[in-house]
Amino acid sequence: MGILERITKNVDNKYWYPENDTFPVKNRYTAGVAGQKFFQELKDNGKIYGTTCAACKLTFVPAKLFCEQCFAELDDWVDVGTTGILWSWTIAYKNKDDSKKETPTLLAAIRLADGLLVHWLGECSPEDVEIGMPVTAVFKDPGEREGSLLDIGHFKPVIS
Amino acid sequence: MSKKVAIVGLGYSSFRTTSQDVSYREMIFEAATKCYEDAGGVHPQDIDAFVACSEDFMEGISIADEYVPDQLGAVLKPVQSITGDGLQGLASAAMHVLTGELDLVTLSAFSKASNVLHYANVVSYACDPTYVRPLKENPYFIAGLEMNRYLYETGTTEEQCAMVTAKNKGNALFNPTAAYGAKIDVKDVLQSDPLFSPLKYLDKSQDLDGAIVFLLASEEKAYQYTDKPIWIKGLGWATDTPNLDNRLDGMGDAVYARLAAQKAYEMAGITYPRKEIHFAELDDTFSFKELQHLEALNICSRGEAGKLLEQGVFSKNGDFPVNVSGGSLGVGYLHEANGLQRLMEVVLQLRGEAGKRQLDDVETGLAFAWRGIPTATGAAAVLSSRY
Ligand SMILES: [Zn+2]
Repeated sequence: MGILERITKNVDNKYWYPENDTFPVKNRYTAGVAGQKFFQELKDNGKIYGTTCAACKLTFVPAKLFCEQCFAELDDWVDVGTTGILWSWTIAYKNKDDSKKETPTLLAAIRLADGLLVHWLGECSPEDVEIGMPVTAVFKDPGEREGSLLDIGHFKPVIS
Repeated sequence: MSKKVAIVGLGYSSFRTTSQDVSYREMIFEAATKCYEDAGGVHPQDIDAFVACSEDFMEGISIADEYVPDQLGAVLKPVQSITGDGLQGLASAAMHVLTGELDLVTLSAFSKASNVLHYANVVSYACDPTYVRPLKENPYFIAGLEMNRYLYETGTTEEQCAMVTAKNKGNALFNPTAAYGAKIDVKDVLQSDPLFSPLKYLDKSQDLDGAIVFLLASEEKAYQYTDKPIWIKGLGWATDTPNLDNRLDGMGDAVYARLAAQKAYEMAGITYPRKEIHFAELDDTFSFKELQHLEALNICSRGEAGKLLEQGVFSKNGDFPVNVSGGSLGVGYLHEANGLQRLMEVVLQLRGEAGKRQLDDVETGLAFAWRGIPTATGAAAVLSSRY
């Protein structure tokens, strides 16, 4: 251990071990009226939907039931297509337990209309990636989709 | 503010990277005892109300409010819990006094990070269950996205971010409460383990255990407890949307900090923060955050912080010293107590009790805290030794 590291977990001091290494909290979360329809479109039709607030001139992606700016209820559903622009990206070198990933993964925030989706970026290497480039969703086969964010396998650069 | 509120007492437990001998409640007891001693030996029986900051998930307990009273001397007294940073707690405690009904109010926050075995899981639970969590990634990737976007929008460099770490770890060498002081340079940071590019190991602050307690008093009562009251001049706090998908502006800019500071400056009657405030202790959870926050707090314009840092403006001998204490990068990351560590340094500096790192001729200071990934919540406080 060098001068820049410290022991920051009591278990590493070899005095106390947890009985198991799991995090036991489990729960359910309701996707909601807008979430239900958003995921249904993803699963059934391979489409990404947003909802538009005419007053604020904003199209929220993923679709929302209400506008967080003016508080209006939203029911104007828009197919925003499956290609967006790369708003930001990162190479993740660490797993959730802070261990080192065998293969680092590319993660991206993708702008679609006025919203962002966070997802993996694939079929490219870091040298090819630039903020502002167009990227497109690669969907799983219809039979494999479950109505989840993971119905999109990843995004990939649009080759022009 | 129409009426004045003063800080009249300060106490803290020893900050340590592990603390397997004491419970977090015993750490708070130590800090509270020192705080009450510092405030002229006040007995908790004479204190009117108590504000405590904590999170349920962190301590492996639930309904954390019920765990508050005894270690503060608050049994059978009015108690309020704040699920947020210590500076949000400061706002609450100050408002207690501003009601005119309460003269003495205790404020506490703590970190027992060494007991938290899976912090990334706790943070994951703060991410949207349907739009972020399914990726099952370490949620600190959000810090990588935010840093990359900030560098892109402002032209700030990774080297400038690395300089923040070098400065703050260097400052920490003069602070006996700091656990992460070190003499390092930009190269050490750039060559450290990559985490979530462009974020590296030495760009990120590391955990620390500790408890901090303050005592606040009305202006009528302040001088009964201290001859060096520190006056709260302005307070502000703001929360941006929790949805990552609605953070187009908020991914590269600390919008929450901009709004919190505007409110605090307005309340304190400050027009030119860089001139009217003499130093700042502000969030540096990640090195880039110090620069991003300086710009959002209107200490300089957007994209300017990195250049001013290179010119030495934010050094402890510079025109506007930033994180003389060492910040989170040098002292350690105290979770909900981060804001109170910043407040503690501002109070010590304004009292002239900062030891080897004491700044000359400082009268007004700024404390700013951010609640960390994945939040967009910040709180600002302007304090002064002048009434
Ligand atoms: Zn609207």
